[in-house]
Amino acid sequence: MNDDRCITCGDTAVVATVISLDGTSAVVESDGVRTEVAIELVGGVAVGEELLCHAGVAIERVSEDLP
Amino acid sequence: MKHVTEYRSGRVAAGLAERIAALVEPGRTYKLMEVCGGHTHAIYRHGLEDLLPAEIELVHGPGCPVCVIPMGRQDDAIAIAERREVIFTTFGDMLRVPSSRGSLLEAKARGADVRMVYSPLDALRIARENPDREIVFFAIGFETTAPSTAITLLRARAEGIGNFSMFCNHVVVVPALRAILESPDLALDGFVGPGHVSTIIGTRPYEFIAREHGKPVVVSGFEPLDILQSIHMLMAQLADRRCEVENQYQRVVREEGNPVALRVIAETMELRETFEWRGLGFIPQSAMKLRPEFEQFDAEICYPLAGARVADPKACQCGEVLKGVIRPWECKVFGTACTPERPIGTCMVSSEGACAAYYNYGRLGRRSGRVAAESS
Repeated sequence: MNDDRCITCGDTAVVATVISLDGTSAVVESDGVRTEVAIELVGGVAVGEELLCHAGVAIERVSEDLP
Repeated sequence: MKHVTEYRSGRVAAGLAERIAALVEPGRTYKLMEVCGGHTHAIYRHGLEDLLPAEIELVHGPGCPVCVIPMGRQDDAIAIAERREVIFTTFGDMLRVPSSRGSLLEAKARGADVRMVYSPLDALRIARENPDREIVFFAIGFETTAPSTAITLLRARAEGIGNFSMFCNHVVVVPALRAILESPDLALDGFVGPGHVSTIIGTRPYEFIAREHGKPVVVSGFEPLDILQSIHMLMAQLADRRCEVENQYQRVVREEGNPVALRVIAETMELRETFEWRGLGFIPQSAMKLRPEFEQFDAEICYPLAGARVADPKACQCGEVLKGVIRPWECKVFGTACTPERPIGTCMVSSEGACAAYYNYGRLGRRSGRVAAESS
């Protein structure tokens, strides 16, 4: 995800949609790319929900806030 | 793409730029620091400086963890990586960071087993798959990245994995902001605050900037309209003579941050007494190390490390760039001896580094022209 940025920096965190759930992990999709992330930090996640993910971990839910 | 295209409308950007320009007071100039390297990258990638009036100068801050890592820590990382029993795992950006012993990529070329990963959880998987090897992860980053380190440590302990450790170099943003605010070199008017760091720590930790230093802060997202809106919010505060902490990035930043993430960080890591930042020197309580309960996973305890202070190459002016004292292209070696292909300093290594952002997006003409005009 986002190859033109530096992963060390949390600024590369991307918004991804939950595809499936398995205990403390979820498969998420962003821009057609699927990856597994840990979901301990966001709790109670549902399929279809959008999560901010970074370095293999979902760090926050995304709420609607369009300009 | 949702959450991308909505924040890249040229029409809305032009409207915001007009509103920003309308807030400029006659005869006044503004210095706004974007703390995050991610903001620096986005500003140059999308050409946002070209939309701003000449009176507003964006100063690049120290918010690139790759850029602020001192040479001595990179030397220690390479010393660990060169041990025969070790598989050294790292985010890709650290591979090209120069040390006094070359880069991790050069160590790999000499035979060290250095592997790039996208998550410390990938490093833990490598540990499970290679029980006869010692797997070390180069943990680095601000508070955004620290939760992934913390979760990995908790999982490693729960699974009883004995061949895994972390070389911890996590830094925290607030002490660096304090150091910048106390630096006599800079007179800033306001801050575009870190976005994803604030997802973890919330907006409250910045309140001292408004209260003690009288400067406004707007926590910002990373899309072009996020950044322009944040600059507009800063300019509106300055026009109204207000100084507050405001949150432009409400879709992922809450006032209190992510309490679960803060809890797992506190459970696994604690503040170091002091830590050296490239360009800023030693800053008290500005970095984290593993808690004693996790010492079996602490590479600093598992391996003998020199821990030496190593001076930057003489020609390199990363320190001044990181403090915003000089602009990247004013460095003596910018774009000549120091390029992204053969970097001398860290600011040219990371794509979030100010020098690499300038170099890659060629945003030199307007700035150079402006300085030439100022000096004539």
